[in-house]
Amino acid sequence: MKPIQIEVFSSPDCDRCSKVFDIVTAVVRDYGDDVAWRNVNVIAELDYAVELGVISMPSIAIDGDLVFTSHPSARKLRDEIDARLRQEI
Amino acid sequence: MQQPGNYRIGAVVDKVGISADTLRYYEKIELLPAIGRTASGIRVYDDKDISRLRFIRRAQKMHFRLREIAELLKMREDPQHARDEVRLLTGRKLAEVEEHLDDLQYLRNELQLLLNLCRASEDGCPIIESIDRGDDRPA
Repeated sequence: MKPIQIEVFSSPDCDRCSKVFDIVTAVVRDYGDDVAWRNVNVIAELDYAVELGVISMPSIAIDGDLVFTSHPSARKLRDEIDARLRQEI
Repeated sequence: MQQPGNYRIGAVVDKVGISADTLRYYEKIELLPAIGRTASGIRVYDDKDISRLRFIRRAQKMHFRLREIAELLKMREDPQHARDEVRLLTGRKLAEVEEHLDDLQYLRNELQLLLNLCRASEDGCPIIESIDRGDDRPA
């Protein structure tokens, strides 16, 4: 099964992004191979960010859908992942 | 005194942002119906004319041709009895507007994102400079 892909959109000057990296890293660890994540540098991937509708950092997309436009709590992120995993069962 | 709903050409220029020469030209090519005149021959536009002119202006912003705008105005006058060709043209133009809206939405997001990226930087906007250069990293 293809893992759920989480993408965190950030920029080098984004102070609030490191907090999101911490949350995402911690949450993803609990799901093992079912969930993967990557950091998307908006400056390097501007077209992709715009295509998904990202207008502020940090933002989070899950499987190509822009889901959070600010940093979510770990619980909200888990809820979103769980909902998507349930659809796969 | 000018009656409400009756506008001389200067007032129309101010209201719709189309020059007096262009207004006369539109009448000459029958994009507008014959405009009412006072006893001394001064043009007097009514609210319906203003509405048509605003439509023309919007359509021109979308780069519609005058010939197309003339057809669309016919549709606008009597949508229920429009000929098939005019209906088809209107459908095509609607599709063009929707595509333009998608492009505008995309551009809006891109500009908003660039502004937000700039706000994160205190030293001018190195991000845009780096994008112009094709770098991956800001200067």
